[in-house]
Amino acid sequence: MTAAPCTTGVPTATDVPTATDASTATCVFAVCRGGDPAALEGMPGHEEGARVRLLPLGSLTAVVQDVPADRFSEEAVRERLSDGAELERCARTHHAVVSAAARCAPTVPLPLATLYLGDERARAALGKREQHLHAALDRIEGRAEWAVKAYTVPARPDAPAPAGKPEGPAAPASSSPDGPGSGRAYLERVRSRKRACDLRQEAALRAAERVDTALRGLAVAARRLRLHGPGPDRDRRTQMLNAAYLVDGDRDRELAAAVGRLRQEAEADGVRIEVSGPWVPYSFVDGGGTGDLGC
Amino acid sequence: MTAERVDLDADTVGRDLVALVLTVVELLRQLMERQAIRRIDQGDLTDDQVERIGRTLMLLDERMAELRDHHGLSPEDLNLDLGPLGTLLPRD
Repeated sequence: MTAAPCTTGVPTATDVPTATDASTATCVFAVCRGGDPAALEGMPGHEEGARVRLLPLGSLTAVVQDVPADRFSEEAVRERLSDGAELERCARTHHAVVSAAARCAPTVPLPLATLYLGDERARAALGKREQHLHAALDRIEGRAEWAVKAYTVPARPDAPAPAGKPEGPAAPASSSPDGPGSGRAYLERVRSRKRACDLRQEAALRAAERVDTALRGLAVAARRLRLHGPGPDRDRRTQMLNAAYLVDGDRDRELAAAVGRLRQEAEADGVRIEVSGPWVPYSFVDGGGTGDLGC
Repeated sequence: MTAERVDLDADTVGRDLVALVLTVVELLRQLMERQAIRRIDQGDLTDDQVERIGRTLMLLDERMAELRDHHGLSPEDLNLDLGPLGTLLPRD
């Protein structure tokens, strides 16, 4: 999830709803420019809320939904988002609305659970960021985000690694495992196993860098994201690259061709590439620049 | 966070404790192996010392394998997932 730091507008202590508008909060999914976002009106959003509607913001249009304030208070949201299943449901809903918006008009997605206490506050807060939103729209209009991840493939036992098999080249010709020289031979085996492991690791790192360099050449912008740790199951892959690329809409095929080529090359170094997209450019809303979000 | 945390269930607590102890021993054994190789590379061990250290580590390795087998543990069981830090022992 991209972190536009100030927009995660969970109501704060100073924003405590007054008695009159306590019942609903305004959840903002995205901001569109031009296009025909009218088609979004009435689509379902978060299931506790009303139908999705549009909130005009001068030259821009926000895609919003009224949600019950008590289910979306700061505390309630924090609690819900720390529950895996609930987080998934919220994220899927958010993504569905954002994707629908992006199909209708150039769209800046806002972070999950961007909430304001009513339309006026939403309008004021987003109005302050209008310039930033326009800049983001200029950057992402007509472009899509592609996510590329590279993993090492766990070494198979039958791989040509010098496994625990007898005598590497440096081992003396002692046939008995307990004979003279066997201690040194053992250490040599350990050493060559370790070296093979290091070499594999370095090759995988280089392969991941090659992938990144090649795809940057096709992209308007690129971001390296934090590497994911090992998965929950006995997933023995190690992530070597987690990157997002902002690519012009008409270069999809070029990208696919490049990925096909890179995939083959990387496979030789024990690296598998996974690509997903096109996505709404969540990772490029902030441009990685000065981050002048004005709050 | 960690999917493979040690689960102190009454039925499995004995086996888990063995796994934990063997994990620590295995970590030390691997560290000693690395240190031995480093010392050899630095050239400050005599042939005799290399041979003795190598043999000791080899026997320790064999003994570890026996203990694992005895307790029905695989080499992968003797590892801890440290979340963002990766795993305690190298996975290859």
